[in-house]
Amino acid sequence: MLGWFDANLVSILNGFAIGSLLFILAIGLSIVFGMMDVLNLAHGALYLLGSYLAVSFVGGTSSWGGFLVALGVAALVGLLAGGGLSAMTEPLARRPILDQALLTLGVSLVVAELLSIAYGNDVLSIAPPPGLDGSTSVAGNAYPTYRLALIGLGLVLAVAVYLVVERTSVGALVRASVADRDMVSAMGIDNRKVKIAVLGIGSMLATVAGVLGGPVYGARPGLDGTILILALVVVVIGGLGSVTGALIGALVIGQVESLGRALLPDLASFILFGTLAVVLVVRPRGLFGPKTLAGVR
Amino acid sequence: MTAASLPPFSRRKLLGAFGVGTSALLLTACGGGSLGGDGGGSAAGGSGGGGGTIRVGLVVPQAGVYTPLGVDMTNGWQLWLDQNDNTIGGYTVETVTADEGEGPDTGVPAIQALLQNEDVDVVVGIVNSATALGVADQFTEAKKLLLISNAGAVAITGDARTDYVWRTSFSNAQNSYAMGEHLAAEGLTSVYILAPDYAAGQENVTAFTAAFEGAGGTVAGSALTPFGTTQDFQPFLSGAQAAAPDAVFCFYSGGEAVTFVTQYADFGLKDSIPLFGSGFLTEGSVLTGQGDAAVGVQTSLHYSTEIDNDANTAFVEAYQAAYDSLPTCFAMATFDAANVLSRAVEEAQALDGDSLATALGGLGEIDDSPRGPWTFEDQNPRQTVYLREVADEGGALINTVVSELGVYAQPGS
Repeated sequence: MLGWFDANLVSILNGFAIGSLLFILAIGLSIVFGMMDVLNLAHGALYLLGSYLAVSFVGGTSSWGGFLVALGVAALVGLLAGGGLSAMTEPLARRPILDQALLTLGVSLVVAELLSIAYGNDVLSIAPPPGLDGSTSVAGNAYPTYRLALIGLGLVLAVAVYLVVERTSVGALVRASVADRDMVSAMGIDNRKVKIAVLGIGSMLATVAGVLGGPVYGARPGLDGTILILALVVVVIGGLGSVTGALIGALVIGQVESLGRALLPDLASFILFGTLAVVLVVRPRGLFGPKTLAGVR
Repeated sequence: MTAASLPPFSRRKLLGAFGVGTSALLLTACGGGSLGGDGGGSAAGGSGGGGGTIRVGLVVPQAGVYTPLGVDMTNGWQLWLDQNDNTIGGYTVETVTADEGEGPDTGVPAIQALLQNEDVDVVVGIVNSATALGVADQFTEAKKLLLISNAGAVAITGDARTDYVWRTSFSNAQNSYAMGEHLAAEGLTSVYILAPDYAAGQENVTAFTAAFEGAGGTVAGSALTPFGTTQDFQPFLSGAQAAAPDAVFCFYSGGEAVTFVTQYADFGLKDSIPLFGSGFLTEGSVLTGQGDAAVGVQTSLHYSTEIDNDANTAFVEAYQAAYDSLPTCFAMATFDAANVLSRAVEEAQALDGDSLATALGGLGEIDDSPRGPWTFEDQNPRQTVYLREVADEGGALINTVVSELGVYAQPGS
């Protein structure tokens, strides 16, 4: 057992790093969908936007200044983009959910194309900040330091988001909206303002994840689609609008993508969706999903 | 990149293809008007003997992941025309550019439109092997020449060969086969192989394995990584590390090449297990993305900007002057396509597929190519494969030529 653990230590560790990144990415998507019934398919494009911002401010030369500026700018851009998305989806609020999904999908295609015009089609890489750009020896195996930092950051964010959602009045509003949005509205809370705020924060998490993921995945055309699918899988496995669900879903997918592929390399292309299928068969609402979905009753 | 078979299904691919397909149709629909203008209109005309016009369809990716290759190929084509008064074998050239997109779903209709609506005499280009294989029959039917300047699937000039389809680039198996023999000759006894799980990846693995094991080596293990969806190679790198081989051989290109080489260094394998690859691993713009992680990686390819011959020196100089970047094997193969097409047209004094194919077959040695002398063998180049090593020269990464691995035709022929 100990030998097995030792042999796969890097894979397990890497699963946590990917899981952390996926959590930051998926929590935004999950809350927006769970609370506001907006399936934001532009989430992946926003992630890519964040990555390209990191290219602009950091690029190939490692610097803390550039990295922090990129994070700040990405957060701001994300908030604004969320506001924009909220305004765009508002006229469609009473229409079926697929109409909004189609709109955000269109937005994502436009954004991805604009990014490809602005930055070209080459694969661009982003240097981790100084001090995190080397490798650390973990039980004799070299492991990129930046990914270790990512694990720590993911844990901190998970705790922070959990505390906000479970222990504050804002969090109570979030949970109430997931459970029954019309009732929240009936109690005198302006649904549109909540929607702007939720989409703003959700989109901000996506662009910030883009900057954080930059040193791991780089920036290239097509990455938005890959990332969006991973985030959707996490949300479906974890359950809509649940912080715990997004965290567990992200960690499960992180391990599946890492340890799963290391143990079963022949099933590598299949294992991600295989896991998804198993979860859907056993628990169609996801591991921590609500008993009833908002809007579906 | 050289031979994407049908890419794995995904929502974005599907929708992306839909978008690309629509734009490809639009592009080809107006190709005769705006796009066709980049060739014929400006020429003085009549500078050669024939005095006629040849309409060439240049099919390259202008959207999607292969766009950088499309740019290089267009540049190579245009450079040759610029150097030769826009004539090919005495005929004034009208180039009609069409967008191939990412796969056969966009590439095949684009080529069909070229043949049916644009009345082109010859088609040059094509990156995607599935596209190339998908249109071969149309060229047989139309009795027109298709000159492929990238797509590397073995079958194109192998099992699925037709008289009308010729190739100026390479067969997938060529470079990997040369590397297999080289590594065995170097005394390496066990090698771990990594490649993407699609047609070109499998063809490279097969060729390398055959050559390496044929020369007495042992394959310590291999992994085929999901094509296009692998962001993180760590699980496969750990597998390679656990097998403790003498070296790792891989075939990756484009975005995957950047990710793979970077992560190979990140996870500390670069210091313990030397990395070898087929040349596309470090060809062209991917080097910038890979940075220092690529330095020291050795690859085998039929071209490098550092090949020492007069034709290459002139080619690299002219290319840099015109486009402000180093040429790639993609630009070179399309440049050569114009060259051999010109020779064949001059020889045949006709533009139909049968005359041109016969003329191509009789060309003999192409002695003024930047890659060094080569000949057609079974409609595919028989050419020198070079061992290259990435080096940092004053801040710029280049593929230095270590040695010549010998002259290789496509394996099996």
